[in-house]
Amino acid sequence: MSQNGRLAVRFLCLGFLLLLAPWAQAALSVVTTTTDLKSLVEAVGGNRVSVVSLAPAGSDAEDYAPRPQDLDRLRDARIIVRVGLDYDLWLDRMLRQTGNPALMRGGAGHVDSSYAIVLLEVKGAGLSDGGHSHGAGNPHYWLDPANAEIITGNIAEALVRLDPANAKHYEQRRIDFLTRLEQRIRLWQTQLAPLAGKPLLTYHNNWPYFARRFRLNFVGTIEPRSGVAPSPAALSVLIRRMRDEQVSFIVRHPQDPARDVDFLARKAGARVAILAASVGDLPQAKDYFSLFDTNVAALTAAYSESKP
Amino acid sequence: MKEAIELLSLPFFASLILIGIHCQFGLQVLKRNVVFVDLALAQSAALGATVGFMQGHLPLTIGAYAWSLGFAWGAALILSLIRHAPKGIPPEALVGVLYVATTAASLLLIEKAPQGAEHLKQILTGSVLTVSPDELVHVVPLYCTIGFLLWLAARRGWFAQAGMAGWLADLGFYAAFGIVVTSSVAMAGVLLVFSFLIIPALVGLLWANTVGRQLTIGWGVGGLAAAAGLVASYLLDTSTGATMVSSFALFLGAALGGRMLADNGWEMRRVGKLLGNLVAIVMLVSAGWFIAKPRADQPLLDALEASWPALRQAYFSPQEMEIHADAENYVKRYAAEVVRLTALEASSLWETSSVDDEKIRKISSFQQSYNEMIKGERFVMQETRSRARERLRWPLAWVLLCACLALLSFPSKRPGWLAARLPQLMKPTDRV
Repeated sequence: MSQNGRLAVRFLCLGFLLLLAPWAQAALSVVTTTTDLKSLVEAVGGNRVSVVSLAPAGSDAEDYAPRPQDLDRLRDARIIVRVGLDYDLWLDRMLRQTGNPALMRGGAGHVDSSYAIVLLEVKGAGLSDGGHSHGAGNPHYWLDPANAEIITGNIAEALVRLDPANAKHYEQRRIDFLTRLEQRIRLWQTQLAPLAGKPLLTYHNNWPYFARRFRLNFVGTIEPRSGVAPSPAALSVLIRRMRDEQVSFIVRHPQDPARDVDFLARKAGARVAILAASVGDLPQAKDYFSLFDTNVAALTAAYSESKP
Repeated sequence: MKEAIELLSLPFFASLILIGIHCQFGLQVLKRNVVFVDLALAQSAALGATVGFMQGHLPLTIGAYAWSLGFAWGAALILSLIRHAPKGIPPEALVGVLYVATTAASLLLIEKAPQGAEHLKQILTGSVLTVSPDELVHVVPLYCTIGFLLWLAARRGWFAQAGMAGWLADLGFYAAFGIVVTSSVAMAGVLLVFSFLIIPALVGLLWANTVGRQLTIGWGVGGLAAAAGLVASYLLDTSTGATMVSSFALFLGAALGGRMLADNGWEMRRVGKLLGNLVAIVMLVSAGWFIAKPRADQPLLDALEASWPALRQAYFSPQEMEIHADAENYVKRYAAEVVRLTALEASSLWETSSVDDEKIRKISSFQQSYNEMIKGERFVMQETRSRARERLRWPLAWVLLCACLALLSFPSKRPGWLAARLPQLMKPTDRV
């Protein structure tokens, strides 16, 4: 073989290796239903995973209407991470459509992150009072930062299962994340300590887990059922309660109607705090940590304003 | 009582103001046959607000208001051209198309800016219950001016002019309506504003010939319906907008019924016959359904039983009564337990300083068990009733059938025709 021929073969081999290189280094593709789960998967996976959230930031993930491109995203995915508890029921139909058994319930790539969480407001099927129609329990469990330990545990398990080569990487990152989180939880608890037991009101019932971690006393929910405005009799009961129990502020989510909340605040002389229930609901809430930073800051600000 | 008045007086006042201006527009809208024009204009304004939001204007600022008004006026321009549409094209169809097109456009825009969805919602889902005094102060002078101009235009016959002048008058009309609807839908919501616009005007048209009288009747009936709706919403503990719309619909039904009676010279006998026939048809259908499927839902029977539980004694055996009452008591007891546990869980979230997972798990499992037990007792109640009904299938069906045949009156010249043959019909065995 001539000198030139050998060179050509070498180049060909090099080219072939270069073609293979991206495959060897390809990030594990993960799809989540919400931005909160996306942030937690990124925390565990780092640069070894590429994550997409189906419901975009600022949308209502409970009533999300999937788009055609979402099917493509699911087809390319190795892992799907969902909230579960009837929160993202729209996902089931999409999974059936993609027809990938690994992503279906019970498949290797299907992560229901509510697994092993201590659930609140579990009613069993059939009852729908208390502002939520979920019989399986209130689905807003990611709003207790301590639950992130369980959620990231569920996520890490699936990552290790499908990408055992990087198992050490995922485990180490999760431990680092949890150490940082523990420090932050202690900080948030001291910041919210003055509010412990103080009565407050919410528009939509998405705060029980948050309340439990930070010992907040939510005395009522403004909307009687998800998406239903309160009746005049219910409003007058709320106003009386706010005056009797000296409720000094109301919490609402940016998507909740401002009118009803402002009306109650005006009638009972209370402050309104706008909190993010998910990553991206407010521009400051960029990831899982800043979600709580934003909410703790909004609550303490409303509380110091409401003090006489 | 004092609380109710405090809570309902401002919404009532707001309703009166809104009815005042919308009834005037309603008469014009009905005349032009563009009933859904308010929806088209409100949706265009919402589209404008979404575009404004995407340009960086927060809702309720001057910038956002300018955008929504601009879009509403754009829609007004299109609407004013409707009178020049080719012959044979109904104006209502074009208004409907404008409505769905603007709705679709706003949905597409929202997909690009998810946070815009809330602003669109805030514009289209006002609630008259939570109207603020500030809002009213802003709109009253505006509505007075527009109302006066509208009255002047109708009186001078500006809208009836042909050619350019008529088109300009139309453009002014839709532009003014755009201003009104943009603010009123944000205050009272789409459904209620539509009722304010159409129903008082319809009642006015039903009972009077001159515009002045139509307006007076519309305002009076509208005020009454609004007051009735607000009070009913307080007493029945239902959402205000939907209750008020229902109240308006009932008033319209009464006005329509009254008009039909008046046109027939108040002949109560014919009305009685008509009602009798209606009741008879309902009972006939119910009886047929009962014979076909005694275990299925029986709407008429269920409603009667719900209002008079004593009715069960008529067809339950003493033992069945006992089982039913027993199950009912258990349902009450378990439901009380569930309520107690819910309260216990709520207080455990904050009353102590420590977080106790074990307690929460126990409460959850007890709640689930009690709810399952409630379902079981409900099943017992339903099964007891179904069996009693099955036993009564034929006797009860015959009673219902006889009752409805007695009520039925035919437009025949011999009213005794059926009554004479009834005994034969009742004994089918004789004919064999």
